[in-house]
Amino acid sequence: MISLLFLLLLVPLAAGGLLLLFAGASQARSARWIALAGSIAVLAMSLSLGGQYRQLSLSFDRGRADAAAASPIRPQVEYRKPWLTLGGAAEQPVILEFHFGLDGVSVAMIVLTALLTVACVLISWESIRERESEFYAALLILETGLIGVFCAFDALLFYVFFEFTLIPLFFLIAIWGGPQRRYAAVKFFLYTLAGSLVTLLGLVTLVGSAAAGGLESPCSLPQLAAWYRDNPLSPSWQMVVFLALAAGFLIKVPVFPFHTWLPLAHVEAPTAGSVLLAGVLLKLGTYGFLRLCLPMLPAACLSVGVPMAAVLGVVGIVYGSLCALVQRDVKKLVAYSSVAHLGFCMLGLFALNSEGVTGGVLQMINHGLSTGALFLIVGMFYERYHTRLVDDLGGLANRLPLMAAGMVFVSMASVGLPGLNGFPGEMLSLAGMFKRHPLYAAAGASGLILGAWYLLTMLQYVFFGPLKEPVHGASAHSHPVRDISLRELGSLVPIAVAILWIGLTPQPLIDMIRPDVEAITQLYARGPDGGESVAQVSPDRTFATEPRP
Amino acid sequence: MTASIGRLTTPASIFNRLHAWLTDLAPPLACMPLEFQQLVLWLIPAAPLAAAVVISLLGPKLLRERSHWPCWLALAVSTACALVLLTNIMPQSFEGGDSATGVVAVGYPWISIGEMQVRIDLRADAMSTLMLSMVTSVSLLVSVFSAGYMHGDRGYARFFAAFSLFVFSMAMLVLSGNYMQLFIFWELVGLCSYLLIGFWFQKPSAAAAAKKAFVVNRIGDMGLILGIFLIWTTFGSLDFASVLFSPETLSQAATAHPGRITTICFLLLAGAMGKSAQFPLHVWLPDAMEGPTPVSALIHAATMVTAGVYLVARSTPLFALAPDAQLFVTGIGAATALLAALIALTQMDLKRVLAYSTVSQLGFMFMALGVGAAGAELATAGATAGMFHLFTHGFFKALLFLAAGSVMHAMGDVIDMRHFSGLRRSLPITHWTFLCGAAALAGVPLLAGFWSKDEILAVLHEAGRHERVGGFFTAIYWIAAATAFLTAFYAFRAYFMTFWGPQRFPPEAGHHPHDAPPAMAWPLRLLAVAALFVGLAAAATHWFARYLAHTPGMAHEGEHAFHIDLMVASGVIAVAGIALAWFMYVRRPGLAASLSQAGRRLYDLSYRKFYFDELFLAALVLPLRAFAWLCYMADVHVIDRLVDAAGAAPRVASRLPRLLHTGLVSNYALMMWAGVLAYLGFLLGLIG
Repeated sequence: MISLLFLLLLVPLAAGGLLLLFAGASQARSARWIALAGSIAVLAMSLSLGGQYRQLSLSFDRGRADAAAASPIRPQVEYRKPWLTLGGAAEQPVILEFHFGLDGVSVAMIVLTALLTVACVLISWESIRERESEFYAALLILETGLIGVFCAFDALLFYVFFEFTLIPLFFLIAIWGGPQRRYAAVKFFLYTLAGSLVTLLGLVTLVGSAAAGGLESPCSLPQLAAWYRDNPLSPSWQMVVFLALAAGFLIKVPVFPFHTWLPLAHVEAPTAGSVLLAGVLLKLGTYGFLRLCLPMLPAACLSVGVPMAAVLGVVGIVYGSLCALVQRDVKKLVAYSSVAHLGFCMLGLFALNSEGVTGGVLQMINHGLSTGALFLIVGMFYERYHTRLVDDLGGLANRLPLMAAGMVFVSMASVGLPGLNGFPGEMLSLAGMFKRHPLYAAAGASGLILGAWYLLTMLQYVFFGPLKEPVHGASAHSHPVRDISLRELGSLVPIAVAILWIGLTPQPLIDMIRPDVEAITQLYARGPDGGESVAQVSPDRTFATEPRP
Repeated sequence: MTASIGRLTTPASIFNRLHAWLTDLAPPLACMPLEFQQLVLWLIPAAPLAAAVVISLLGPKLLRERSHWPCWLALAVSTACALVLLTNIMPQSFEGGDSATGVVAVGYPWISIGEMQVRIDLRADAMSTLMLSMVTSVSLLVSVFSAGYMHGDRGYARFFAAFSLFVFSMAMLVLSGNYMQLFIFWELVGLCSYLLIGFWFQKPSAAAAAKKAFVVNRIGDMGLILGIFLIWTTFGSLDFASVLFSPETLSQAATAHPGRITTICFLLLAGAMGKSAQFPLHVWLPDAMEGPTPVSALIHAATMVTAGVYLVARSTPLFALAPDAQLFVTGIGAATALLAALIALTQMDLKRVLAYSTVSQLGFMFMALGVGAAGAELATAGATAGMFHLFTHGFFKALLFLAAGSVMHAMGDVIDMRHFSGLRRSLPITHWTFLCGAAALAGVPLLAGFWSKDEILAVLHEAGRHERVGGFFTAIYWIAAATAFLTAFYAFRAYFMTFWGPQRFPPEAGHHPHDAPPAMAWPLRLLAVAALFVGLAAAATHWFARYLAHTPGMAHEGEHAFHIDLMVASGVIAVAGIALAWFMYVRRPGLAASLSQAGRRLYDLSYRKFYFDELFLAALVLPLRAFAWLCYMADVHVIDRLVDAAGAAPRVASRLPRLLHTGLVSNYALMMWAGVLAYLGFLLGLIG
């Protein structure tokens, strides 16, 4: 399995490197075929990885979850290789090591990344006409970076990959973007980089203080988490480190009011860039919270994290939805909807109970799927009409019935319709938060109404009503605008299948991430360790009855 | 694990592995129904679902004009299964005495994490069975009608796919055994209504109505999901069996958390008010007639709107412990019934009259559902009366809408009653069936609506004897009686305006309007029979009430008595309303116009629907949009500017040092000299 993981990291990198060799060559049209082959190979491998992991976890689950001594972070597959040993014979050596691994969350995110990358290659097939090999190279190198983040169980590697993803995306936006691409790319890059530097400070503090305390390999996240569970930092230090870590993650997620880079970056990025940005890159923020803050800083998560995430999450939901409501540009609308959806994700993660954290992780995956698909469809009609403005378009369902059906489907997933993927995540996030603070959950639930409002309003004006097509688009192509093509279907259908599958039976996915989630939430259920009372977490169990067999 | 299986490649082992793999990924596949009971139960929702899938996959290319066949077939199967359940399986389970569990077909675990345990199972008891038999049979007849009505439409296949999905969702909603499953299909019902109301999406009004229906429903749904969460944290479970059907748990919860159950009930009620179009969330329902007329029949009669009433009736054990919530239920019901009836008085659009009559009749049901406030023993009687009215209303309202659809079909899609009249000779089938429906709605003695409305009046009258809240219920009783009079009047106003008077057609109708073709006529006839006799069969024998009393949580009533005096009174009310309508629209045709001129203000108030839409727009939608705009402006001009300012800070800060770097050698020399002089000065200072 671990060799498969390395292949996953290497194949896109190798394909990207190959494409760079071709850069500027005349037969550049073959670049997309190489990219497609590479990304499909990665998808196949990631699916096989997922399948193998499921088999493994079925046998692993019991033995590991019960081990009370185990760390809150428990990769079930690991690869460790010492890399550098610091410190002489006099003091205790500090070992830096490559520590790759897999747990349920990372497997799920890797599959998501691979799935979306294939869609990205397919959607760029016709729309990217210049410097193709460089484009696909950047895309595939970005994929390597993203997969790297999710399988790094080492603070150093994690941070390197975390930052590394910025570079290919920067080029994707700055070279193949819209009219304001330079400004958008620089803003996106500098803003997130500035945040991440503060995160680095926090990370260094975490690692350094554990190393000073005598932890042998302080960069390994599982060891670090185990260390801090047994020797927690003082609450005030936890708070400082939490805030430092959060600085980068909050910007990355992005949480209100640190979100303003996002609409701009989305609008300017090429479709593929938007899909990966919304689908996976934003999740690095929530993933960071899940990997670093929740397991290592329980006291700070409770004292600062919960109110901060709840308030900012709720504000993000309401504010993001309202901003989405008044957008005239459909892509910008989808961008603001991300702010709202990730608000749900934050509510879930910082509910700090199994239901909520599971919901938060599901929401990470689901938002990737549904928003990714939304961006794909927006890209499709932009390619046809060269406009995304609600005012220029209308009644597209008359001309493009299949695309309209797809858009309704994906919008419903995004609205959180039960039976599609959005609902389990949103519902569990809200349920978890309801258990902790009912009022925050109640405020967050208003997102149910607002989400339906802005998305259905968009559908109403863009896809329904009498047909209105911009003259420009029709005259640019001599032939009439065609409905969705086979290639475009190829990019959408796998995502749609995933959307339906998660919606109908979320349990297999939940089973996969459950051990990881419960390993973390145990910290909060146990009570005094994190400096909180049990009563606050657990609901009224007075009348709890056994679930029906 | 894989090693032990080995790498055998016989077809059987491949199949086994494939099956194991599939059931691993998709648990529903693992539970194939085995027993007869389970098969029947599964088929009720599974058949329409299969039809929906088949039609949406094959419909547009292959089935085309034959797309109704899978739908018909599936609904026939569902109806047959529902009737088997009604007449055979449920009575057996009553005798078995295990009515608390009902008949269960095991499904699969949907979500199980922490304390959130949700299964998708099928669970039928007396209440859901009664409901299902009405839902499936009315849907079947409506689908038959639709094949005639929708003939030749571009989206023929799409219509039947959404139709089947609608019935599937409704059946699953009714068959839910826990609140979360109920919510899931509650939302799916909302989706189907969105797809069907917006069926003619080319019309901007239809697209707007579909969105309105979905969003207004979501307002209620927000309350519902919070109510469900509160049930979950209070009871630790969402199963009806553990929440509703064990009195000890309920009373424990009520004593441990005073007020909590009332909160739960109010939250659930919010959901019910959205779905069942109660004031002030009723605004979506009249607009919902933008969909094809059979859809209106489906939404108004069989599926959608009944869900809210069902939810409240289902949660009777909870509501019985929350008298305040019950008073609110009745109050809202009365307000809705009266307001909607007043609006229906003046509408000129035949379908709009019927739409408001639905709102009004739903109000009647809610009035009945709340009488438990006057003593817990009345809660069951109230729920019974409400469910019975739901049952009978399903038949005659479907009939009325389909007959209106038939009128529309003949009149070339004109539905404004000012544009036609005297249709009784040219459309005899439509005329007679509409008459049956209108009479049932008006509550003409011995017809369907008479029995159920009478039961509601009876429980309200009974509740009026309560010493504390008796006055309230007496007032409600009089409102109900007045509304019943208005109902009779507007039902027959529509009837007389459409079918009596001089024969007139709109130009769209052509010269010879055609009465309903067989596919439309037979559903009308069958529903007319139901409207005439279903009340007599189910109420005169107390069959309905006795059957419903087997529902767990619905404590058995003592006596089933008739209140002859009330019956006479309500009969008189109905006849009086009809007589007034006859007098105004047949005997003195000019009277209505002159009356409306005399009471211009009142008339406008009613005709403009008490300005609810305008009120919503002004008080809610526009301010929110303005606020949204404000947010966006703040986003662009404040928050983003702050970010840019932070980004510009280094550049600004660099201005000052940059002044020094002029690039002129003389400047640098000057500075050097200044430095040397300062240093010398410092040295001198040291010496001095």
